[in-house]
Amino acid sequence: MKIAFTTKGSTWDSKMDPRFGRTEYILIYDDEKDKFSVFDNRENSNEAYGAGPLTAQKLFELNPDVLITGNGPGGNAATVLGKSDMKIYIGASDLCVKEAFEAYQKGELEEF
Amino acid sequence: MTEIVLISGKGGTGKTSIAAAFSYLAGQDIVLADCDVDAADLHLLMQPDFNIAQNFYSGHIAEVNADICNQCGRCVEVCRFGAITVMNGQYGVEHLNCEGCGYCSRICPTNAIMMKNQNVGKWFISNTRLGSSMVHACLGIGAENSGKLVAQVKKEAKRIAGELHRDFVLVDGSPGIGCPVISSLSGSDFVVLITEPTVSGLHDLKRVFEMVKKFHIRAACIINKFDLNLKITSEIEDFLKQENIIHLVNIAFDDSFTKAMIKGQTVVEFSQRNFQQILTESWEKIKKITKTGGKKE
Repeated sequence: MKIAFTTKGSTWDSKMDPRFGRTEYILIYDDEKDKFSVFDNRENSNEAYGAGPLTAQKLFELNPDVLITGNGPGGNAATVLGKSDMKIYIGASDLCVKEAFEAYQKGELEEF
Repeated sequence: MTEIVLISGKGGTGKTSIAAAFSYLAGQDIVLADCDVDAADLHLLMQPDFNIAQNFYSGHIAEVNADICNQCGRCVEVCRFGAITVMNGQYGVEHLNCEGCGYCSRICPTNAIMMKNQNVGKWFISNTRLGSSMVHACLGIGAENSGKLVAQVKKEAKRIAGELHRDFVLVDGSPGIGCPVISSLSGSDFVVLITEPTVSGLHDLKRVFEMVKKFHIRAACIINKFDLNLKITSEIEDFLKQENIIHLVNIAFDDSFTKAMIKGQTVVEFSQRNFQQILTESWEKIKKITKTGGKKE
């Protein structure tokens, strides 16, 4: 299964980015292959407007099964993501990626 | 550190005056972020020193290279904003009209039109007259606020709050429900809605609260000028109950708001008698709620 995180850095210990559209990085963890990949989202986060839908489109391409983020995508981004089967979990704002993953495994994150 | 955002939906409800009053009461506890950048006015009350200034680039603007342009006129045909000018056969761009969509650049057969990053203004890191830190911005003529600028101001405010070990970032958000407002809400911990008992006050409160709900952020509300229309005030109170929004306080209409503004003071400084107690109580209440977990479970 592929899990996407909105993050401020590119490692397992990086802080989560509470923002969806203007997140600095998207980190993808494949728990079956135990493999990490990183997408640098700073170009999208630099858009004057509509960063949310752009990041949502990127996520469509990355195609994770689960997204873990801070307080969730805004209206337009949520509409885009609603078209996919991706499950979205929020409430991981103040954690690092590792802690967010553990919280998700324990079922401590709220489904969006 | 907790990020608290003040928004109103409708403009003119007293949001910035109340943000200034809270920052007066909070003193060194906070870093202030003025994200109402279209019509920034918090600096009038806080008198920041504009200590560090940085250029801000947001969006794009078309530029015609006259050496390559073959004057075919396709750009004039496709521009929906009438931004392409033709003077003595020379093609150019009217900056105030260009929306930066890039259509002209895309269809130009000789690639004579470049989309350039637009310098829309400056943002600042300041010390206020109260000794607190403040991040704010000033836009050039015809430039507008954007989610990007709000994100930048908030990010800087958070960084400073982290460095100086401040407990709160207080964000003065912009009116409406557009991109800048979404950006002020994104990543924040608590929302204070400032409203007034008018038809548009309640209507816009409901609209902006829809967005707050989408972000699952806990919210509280201040009804300003509540005695101007008791019927709508009671409708607002019903709405707050129904949506489980914390009702902080009702403030009576008071021309001290305007008089304080003219004197460049916060309402608490201008009329201690009328505002010191109720706004201190509200601020303490906000502090208490956010300490015990502002986020909605």
